[in-house]
Amino acid sequence: MTKADVRATVNGYSQASNDDAFERMFERDKVTLRELGIPLVTLTDDAHGDDIGYRIDLDGYDLPRVDLSPAEIGVLSVAAQVWDGAHLDLPARRALTKLRAVSPAASGELSGHVLRIPPPSATFDPLLSAIASRAVVTFGYRGATSSAPAQRRVEPWQLVVRDGAWYVLGHDLVRDAERMFRLTRITGAVKVGARGGATHPRVTGTGGGLGATSRASGSIGRTVGDDGAADVARVAVRPERAGEVRLRALAATPGEAAWSGWDVLELAVGNADDLAGLLAGHTDAVVVLEPPHLREAVVTRLRAAAGLATVGTATTGTETDPVSEPATDPATGDIQSSAPTTGEAGRG
Amino acid sequence: MAESTSERLARLLAMVAYLADRDDVPVAELAAHFGVPQAQIMRDVDTLWVSGTPGYQPDDLLDFSADSYDAQRITLTNARGMDRPLRLGPGEAVALIVALRALANLPGMGADPAVASALAKLTAAAGDAAEAAEAVALETADPALDAHVSRVLGTARAALAEGERVHLRYTSASDATTERDVDPLELLSDGEAWFLRGWCLLSDAVRHFRLDRVAAITRTGQDAVPHEVASTSGRVRPEQTLLQARLELTPRSRWVAERFGGEILAERDGAILVALDVADEAWLARLVLDLGPDVLGLEPRGLAESIAARAAAALAAYEEVG
Repeated sequence: MTKADVRATVNGYSQASNDDAFERMFERDKVTLRELGIPLVTLTDDAHGDDIGYRIDLDGYDLPRVDLSPAEIGVLSVAAQVWDGAHLDLPARRALTKLRAVSPAASGELSGHVLRIPPPSATFDPLLSAIASRAVVTFGYRGATSSAPAQRRVEPWQLVVRDGAWYVLGHDLVRDAERMFRLTRITGAVKVGARGGATHPRVTGTGGGLGATSRASGSIGRTVGDDGAADVARVAVRPERAGEVRLRALAATPGEAAWSGWDVLELAVGNADDLAGLLAGHTDAVVVLEPPHLREAVVTRLRAAAGLATVGTATTGTETDPVSEPATDPATGDIQSSAPTTGEAGRG
Repeated sequence: MAESTSERLARLLAMVAYLADRDDVPVAELAAHFGVPQAQIMRDVDTLWVSGTPGYQPDDLLDFSADSYDAQRITLTNARGMDRPLRLGPGEAVALIVALRALANLPGMGADPAVASALAKLTAAAGDAAEAAEAVALETADPALDAHVSRVLGTARAALAEGERVHLRYTSASDATTERDVDPLELLSDGEAWFLRGWCLLSDAVRHFRLDRVAAITRTGQDAVPHEVASTSGRVRPEQTLLQARLELTPRSRWVAERFGGEILAERDGAILVALDVADEAWLARLVLDLGPDVLGLEPRGLAESIAARAAAALAAYEEVG
């Protein structure tokens, strides 16, 4: 059908009082159809003369055959609520509706379950399409330690969630290095360059090159201390204490000698930073025996906290050391030490 | 919430496809299946009844059985070729696949066969559109706790489904372990941890229990009793404030404000001052100890002093024995 055919024969368009109004309605409806995944194709051929013909491509219309069980459609119903109110919410619910068209009633296995994960900001969409088309993106970015936004040019590889925050991982073309950028720190719009403009080999997958989070930096760094030697930690735990730590124990034995009366637990270290935070949080209920780097990380935290008795939140008064441009870039997740330096620990 | 055009249109088309395979479907069943009120289903059918293809002569329109309609049941008698299920658009596929993967990555969910098979089928049904979702990497469950949380979740889920009271041994953020009976209301997750929201008979109030702090859960065999609270809260964490803390932090700890909804009050070289609403002192103490040297100062003073005293006691334990 040509645009004129549509205007003449499809219900609703006769309400358009003039050409402009019709054009607006027509454009709006095309957008809606494409949002819905309806493959609207344009044709120019003899049959349509000089006009463009519009047709729904039925070959690309159908949902492939899918047989979802009641339990599976139940699982999808819970998943579709995840983005509550965010920009991914509507497309997720539309996808569920389409699948319901060919599915039996959901079973109640997951009824009573509510899952809400922190949604990415709207910059998710252009970044995802840039990754798919291997394009370079440009955006303003305000790092954690920088006072003003700076322009970044990045070849994006992957969108990553860590500790409830969204990041884009990619190759920073200005710094010529792999970097993570927190989506909420991107300022303004993301400009997507030409398809195929990215040239650096991708690093993807959450294993290998991309280590666990360095939470203290609020970003993602490589796991430090993963020299392979200390995957298991030994900690002494006071009786009846540190229940949360006990749940993680690979093994527990009664303490001996100096640790008589305590329990000695073996723990998988995983992310040493996270584990140090958990253990420090249990204060005198837990003492780290080994490895030394974990022990040091916990003691460093305890020393800093012990110093809090003597300082207030002095926003006026003595100047603290500026941390304006550290050697590594904590904002974007360069290599971070898991044990903060003593220089920082001594401040107050 | 007002419904968008695309959402309604997707449902209208989906209903036609659904009804094409079934006769005499009760309106209540359609409403439950598509997650909308029955009155909306009736409006949808009314809209579909006058929809069709250009020409709009009686034979061009979708048609339904009027007898069924009067009995609150729906039978489609002429689909006009509009009963083909519509494929997923790229944005739709990504939004649902990423959501489902987030669900699959939660502690205790990885082994759920329905989650794994739903993901496989959804990915296949999405076709090319599924590829873009591969560029999204989500957090995976902490392996140190996955098996434990999986067991706790399994018991909590069964008790919730059957309306049964559970008995918990629970360790709070302040490391106090207590025994209590709870009537489960719902299971909530923020994408990282699971929470059991329930009526706690020990505190005689609604409480949220983090499943990775539940040391043991048992079913009591007693029925849960109704309580004067909403069965679903729709939000994962309770919204309550006990105190407002002020934290002076290194700039690299800006994430604390971003993640926990804090307000940055002041900012200068080397320090940011963050105001944070806190529901639980023990939670704040854990945060401060976790951040360690990145906390430069803390108010209220009393809280800072008690955390400092506990940290000093811990350091003494290291010196004494270690």
